[in-house]
Amino acid sequence: MTTTEQTPRLPFSRGNALEIAPDYEALRRQAPVSRVLTPAGDPAWLITSYEEAKEVFRDKRFGRSHPAPEQASRISYAAVQDGPSGDFESEEREHKRMRRMLAPAFSAPRMRALGDRIAELTDRCLDDLQAARDADPGAPVDLTDFLAFPLPVLVICELLGVPYEDREKFRGLSERIAMMDGGEDAQAAMTEFKAYMTELAEAKRADPQPDVISDMVAVQADDPTFTDDDLARMGAGLLFAGHETTSTRIAMGTLFLLTDTARRDRFAADPEGQVAQTVEEILRLTATSGTGLLRYAHEDVEVAGIRITRGDAVLISSDAANRDEAVFADPDEFDPDRTPNVHLAFGTGAHVCIGANLARTELRTVFPKLFRRFPGLRLAVGIDEIGVRTNRVAGGVDRVPVEW
Amino acid sequence: MKITTDTASCVASGQCVLLAPGTFDQDEETGTVVLLTGEPAAGEEEAVRQAELTCPAAAIRLTGS
Repeated sequence: MTTTEQTPRLPFSRGNALEIAPDYEALRRQAPVSRVLTPAGDPAWLITSYEEAKEVFRDKRFGRSHPAPEQASRISYAAVQDGPSGDFESEEREHKRMRRMLAPAFSAPRMRALGDRIAELTDRCLDDLQAARDADPGAPVDLTDFLAFPLPVLVICELLGVPYEDREKFRGLSERIAMMDGGEDAQAAMTEFKAYMTELAEAKRADPQPDVISDMVAVQADDPTFTDDDLARMGAGLLFAGHETTSTRIAMGTLFLLTDTARRDRFAADPEGQVAQTVEEILRLTATSGTGLLRYAHEDVEVAGIRITRGDAVLISSDAANRDEAVFADPDEFDPDRTPNVHLAFGTGAHVCIGANLARTELRTVFPKLFRRFPGLRLAVGIDEIGVRTNRVAGGVDRVPVEW
Repeated sequence: MKITTDTASCVASGQCVLLAPGTFDQDEETGTVVLLTGEPAAGEEEAVRQAELTCPAAAIRLTGS
């Protein structure tokens, strides 16, 4: 007898952009770790509870590589988070090298230095938002076009040293590599993305600048085991991760603040005073991923009494963990006074998001500026009319039409 | 409240610096935590507690009250 019919398959559907799929809570009530099928149809473990999510994030017996990659469960047919990555023997060493190489560029002192520039770029985006409104005063303006998308792209371009003029090119590539049913096209886009980064790295090699790609090129000069392909893949990954994720947070954060007028007014009354905690609450509640973050067990491991076998795929749902009522009272409530608010939006452990400080700096800049300038901002359509991108690795919404 | 940090397990996420910039800093070269003071800087007690809870590497320890 097969039980496949009863095994839930990801991604789960949700009511609207601000909710998460009710299936997560249903699964968590049964057990912290559940058997699921990936969007590609392969078996995996899904972690929905906070304590176990944190435990697995911090457990070195889980990694992104696989002892026998050809046998690994596949997650989707995208070209990122689709299956194993890296070499099983050298993963930890490679990962440490990457963190060492990138840590200075993403450090808090560098983010402080970048703060004024982010503020300037935000003002420029808000000018564009106003200009779009002035051009057609009766029509709503899509906040994703003028703020949520361009701002993170402008910032990551500066940090990495990527020409902003190329944004449509890598926007298209980023979308294609992250389509969960992308298949051959996703792979082709990844090849093109890497070729783009290789070309950029060559330009930096000839003329180094104070940017991350130049830093990587410098590391490569001292360490020949860091190949051109490694560099291209990492550069493409940073460019992809640097804009999709923060873009989603700006869009969703605006939705959270606009769907309740009292909440919006409260924030608009003292944006600077409330922004740090408000941003943490936006990070906690924003559901971004239809699958969770992928790991493979590098040896047999027991989690919450369940035996996970070497090679098994494990998906850690931060979206679900961040709404675990064992840790967060009234988990679905937006409560900017929540303290402590130790969410797992950036993961935790050795693989914690390297861009966390960058994202926080951007988000802490953007919301006060947006609501200082447009305190009467409102959503032009109902929340249920805003489409959720279920077929994208980083999730997100189609649009955020606003008026003021 | 006494603070100790374990630089060997630090993963240079810098979350502590963003929370309590008067108490923690990051090494410019390696990104690892630099403790500016053995006790929380003025007004940063709560932020330091939060830093201990959120440190992805559990590299911050607080003792005493």
